[in-house]
Amino acid sequence: MKGKRKRRILRSKEGVIGWLFVFPYIGYNAIFWIFPFVWGFVLALSRWNYLTPRRFVGLKNFFRLFYDPVFLDCTRNTFNFMLYFIPSVLACSLFLAILLNRVKYFKGFFSLGFLLAYVSSGVAYSLTFSMIFADYGPINNFLFHHFNFTIPWFSSPQLAMLSIVIVVVWKMIGYYGMILLAGLQSIPESVYEAAELDGANSWTKFWKITIPLLNPAITTIMVLAIILSFGIFTEPFMITEGGPMRRTYSFMLMVYINAFSKLQAGYASALALVIAALSFSCVWVVRKLIEREVSLT
Amino acid sequence: MRKRIRKKKMIEIIIVIALFAGMLLWIYPYLWMILSSLQPSDEIFKKFWPTHFTLRHYTFLFSTSERLERPFGRALMNSFLVAGSRTIGILFSSVIVAYALAKLKFRGRQLLFNVVLYQMLFPGVMFIIPLFVLMLKLRLVDTYPAMIIHALMSAWAIFLITQSFKTVPHDYIDAARLDGASEFWIVFRLMVPICKSIVSIVALFTFISAWDDFLWPLIVVKDYYKMPMAVLIACFKHEYTEEVGALLAASTLQTIPMVALFIIFRKNFISGITMRLK
Repeated sequence: MKGKRKRRILRSKEGVIGWLFVFPYIGYNAIFWIFPFVWGFVLALSRWNYLTPRRFVGLKNFFRLFYDPVFLDCTRNTFNFMLYFIPSVLACSLFLAILLNRVKYFKGFFSLGFLLAYVSSGVAYSLTFSMIFADYGPINNFLFHHFNFTIPWFSSPQLAMLSIVIVVVWKMIGYYGMILLAGLQSIPESVYEAAELDGANSWTKFWKITIPLLNPAITTIMVLAIILSFGIFTEPFMITEGGPMRRTYSFMLMVYINAFSKLQAGYASALALVIAALSFSCVWVVRKLIEREVSLT
Repeated sequence: MRKRIRKKKMIEIIIVIALFAGMLLWIYPYLWMILSSLQPSDEIFKKFWPTHFTLRHYTFLFSTSERLERPFGRALMNSFLVAGSRTIGILFSSVIVAYALAKLKFRGRQLLFNVVLYQMLFPGVMFIIPLFVLMLKLRLVDTYPAMIIHALMSAWAIFLITQSFKTVPHDYIDAARLDGASEFWIVFRLMVPICKSIVSIVALFTFISAWDDFLWPLIVVKDYYKMPMAVLIACFKHEYTEEVGALLAASTLQTIPMVALFIIFRKNFISGITMRLK
């Protein structure tokens, strides 16, 4: 009887401490998460330049968005980016992971070398690449001396987005390669041996065993890559400023310019909500399409 | 049989060579950045290896640009200050919250844990403008707290640390309590040391993402003396495009701390990445 009571007291004491410990979390998130969350929706329905009184305009911002040529350009650019980025980054990082999985020596050394690109800071590498790929930069110098032509990496409307994709692929390969390498290492050798006994060649083994068993890793990378595509900002801001001919104008650049240069807080908030919805639905569609249950036991 | 082994060996040698070539290609931008920052200005786009090394661009950053009111030395300190305080804040808060979520029994715990999970789903773009409005209302725009205060808790950090705290046996905590340990002692002297590796992974990734943060400080800070490195470099690029050497020197300075951290903690870093899978 006495023991039970004591335990109940202890329990309630634990409950009090528990609430005390999570209370800062609740308070903090009320201010820095729930408040901005709600305020984002309110702003999206109003017209405001931060200074004069806010005016409620209903869904006008959203309608305006669909007639805005810049918004249509951004949508096209983002899907253009994904079209280049996702296949190339998947292929390159898978290739890297397979190579890394096959070497016995220097494995750590090589992964370190490729991961170095991932820890570089956005502003610094954007600046460096804008100079390396410049018309007078080292790559074009080399091409001009040996082959007598230059490539207008960032100044040609057709090439600019591809060049930005090259930069981002350079950055992300080490990171995605590590995720895929962990996936590869979790595939037991016995599966391959069994397939060999059945007379499978390496092509069949790759498509019928490696790719399906890597599904969780590939799904993770696809989701990360989609989120990255919708959030890309530093590279276009630093290298091309959205140009040439708005071909590298990204969604985040549009939010930034509308909210903080043109001071259209309401319009930019509506845009932000639409971007969030778009990226969310892309992720959802991709998960529905490619995600499979995988069990290795 | 022997032929097969030899063939296998050949393949491995080819792969090592290919990887080595790829790696060289991958660090070429770094090498170019560092070497060019040590080169006299008129050689930068002409030579890869400098004819003679010079620290002119670095001294420019710490003296001349100071007089132009673009204080790069201070910007470096600002970057450390902002990234450091965000890392300490996130570690401190998430360790405490994670302990409550993982080990203390109270009503609504599961609900709160689900809230943490759902929080991770919402993309940051939704919060930028309203957070800026909040900073305006709190009169924090153009101050240091504006760069720090919005990121003192992270659902991602709380989630990771909670998952790892859950694996600590409950007996340890009971034993510590019997010895009269306070709950704070349990958190910082028992739980954190046991889950050292996860806590350091969280610290590392938080620091690197805070160091690399660009959009938010670009929005909230307009004073050149409060800007972190990333923003000051971007501003400097817009105003003094022709100072290529100085820009590259500043980029090198901004990259070095992250690369150093990465090389020191490479083991934690790689296990942190592969954790994404689970």
